[in-house]
Amino acid sequence: MSSRAIVAGVVALLAAGAAFVGSPEPHAGSRANIRALADEIEHESDHVTALELAEWIRQRRPGLRVVDVRPDSEYAAYHIPTAERIPLATLATTSFDPRSTVVLYSEGGAHAAQGWVLLRTAGVRNVFFLRGGILDWMDDVMNPAASSDLTRYFGGTARTNAVPLPGGATQVVARMRRRSC
Amino acid sequence: MIAPFTDSSVVVAAIVGIGFGFALERAGLGNAPKLAGQFTLTDFTVFKVMFTAIVIAMLGAFWASRLGLLDLARVYVPETFLAPQLVGGAVFGVGFALAGLCPGTSCVSAATGRGDGLAVVLGFLAGVGGTASMLPLLQSFYLSTPRGTLLLPDVLGVPYGVVVLAVVAIAGAGFAIAERIEMHAARRKA
Amino acid sequence: MSSATRARGAHGYASPYAAGAGLGVVLLASYILAGRGIGATGAFAVVAANTMNAASPAVVQSNAWLAERATGPILRDWLVVEIIGVVIGGFISAALAGRLQLGVDRGPRLGVAPRIAIAALGGAIMGFGAVFARGCTSGQALTGGALLSAGSWLFVLGAFGAGYLTMFFARRAWT
Repeated sequence: MSSRAIVAGVVALLAAGAAFVGSPEPHAGSRANIRALADEIEHESDHVTALELAEWIRQRRPGLRVVDVRPDSEYAAYHIPTAERIPLATLATTSFDPRSTVVLYSEGGAHAAQGWVLLRTAGVRNVFFLRGGILDWMDDVMNPAASSDLTRYFGGTARTNAVPLPGGATQVVARMRRRSC
Repeated sequence: MIAPFTDSSVVVAAIVGIGFGFALERAGLGNAPKLAGQFTLTDFTVFKVMFTAIVIAMLGAFWASRLGLLDLARVYVPETFLAPQLVGGAVFGVGFALAGLCPGTSCVSAATGRGDGLAVVLGFLAGVGGTASMLPLLQSFYLSTPRGTLLLPDVLGVPYGVVVLAVVAIAGAGFAIAERIEMHAARRKA
Repeated sequence: MSSATRARGAHGYASPYAAGAGLGVVLLASYILAGRGIGATGAFAVVAANTMNAASPAVVQSNAWLAERATGPILRDWLVVEIIGVVIGGFISAALAGRLQLGVDRGPRLGVAPRIAIAALGGAIMGFGAVFARGCTSGQALTGGALLSAGSWLFVLGAFGAGYLTMFFARRAWT
């Protein structure tokens, strides 16, 4: 068997193997991978806060892609400036430039966090989700307790939580929402 | 640590370049008439060198990634602009057939003392600079049909590895056909 | 004819498959060591931009594409160093094989001056195409092709399609 035939045979084998295996990603379901993902979640390097995202958008962070995973109608009603809409079903098969920074968001963060797991499993590296979703965006950026220059940049206004009291007066109540992951 | 290791060291650039130029000259691709033979269908060296290189690098990258040794996501993939790249490619092809050398091989040709190689180098330099100056006028076409990082598996809707196999199969078939055609041309000359 | 003779061309060139394999290994090494592939157009772009900047800064500074490429010292640019390597590598290979020779390669029917003129013209046309295609055979066909970039394969189709068509009309330059 000539050396050329051997090389051709090896190449053919590797090519057939590639087709059989399908994806060049290191085996997705392997334990090492799941452990790595779990570590990232625990160390909270999987998400960003609304203020962080707002700052990234304002600074025009190169390669930033803000992705809205909510239904079309919600996106049309309001979406974070510069956001594009990609539903979860299409998300996993979307290619992202390795140099881009992807930030997913949903209404409260659950779907976005799930999208994070999907993308990380698919091999996307620079991906985060917005903790607290659009709700936190509203609370911290667009409608915060105290107006910041970020609020002004995005055209939001500070919150007045006027609670009507008996007798016609109002009392401002600081609204508290438990923040956790 | 998994590869890629650095992304801007010029020492790597020099080594890669030397290897690139060496391999091209070894195959005779610093000789314009030999390269032009690809387009006159008498000498398929260009096709053989290109597709062997693509197959090796493609398989190597696939398996290095699969084995966890190379992080493909950190390897720079050129972005896709559908119309400019198809049209630009066609225009490039016209020049390629006339010159008998591409930018890389023109450097090899010039390095070995060929005046025509140097002419292609200088012509290419002028072409790039001149075109760039005109870009503001042609901006909308230059920026048209952007698709970001777009890979064939996503376009075709098949797994990455299947495209890998297809490329290898096409290369193999191409090599077999090329050998046939070259053998006929040689027999006719003899 | 033995397979060894058939493998080596009349001038002692290496087998195109062997050279191609070597090139493939170099390309793979580039992906692994540098996180990027090879190229040529970018190096020419940097040289062109810097040259034009020295001659006429106003033109360059008002042109985003050129201005981007006229920043920083030329020799720090990855592709410029790489293309210098290509020149060196080509020289070494030719020197080892006794193929160093001053001269002008051309088709049998073409004189030296017409050949030089057509070579320069071909180069300029390639320059135009390469700007829009974001690269040439090195950066697009080889580098992008091996990474399965769709635009790179479109480039390959366009280039070879047009190349064959052109040669149909220009074959007298080479045969």
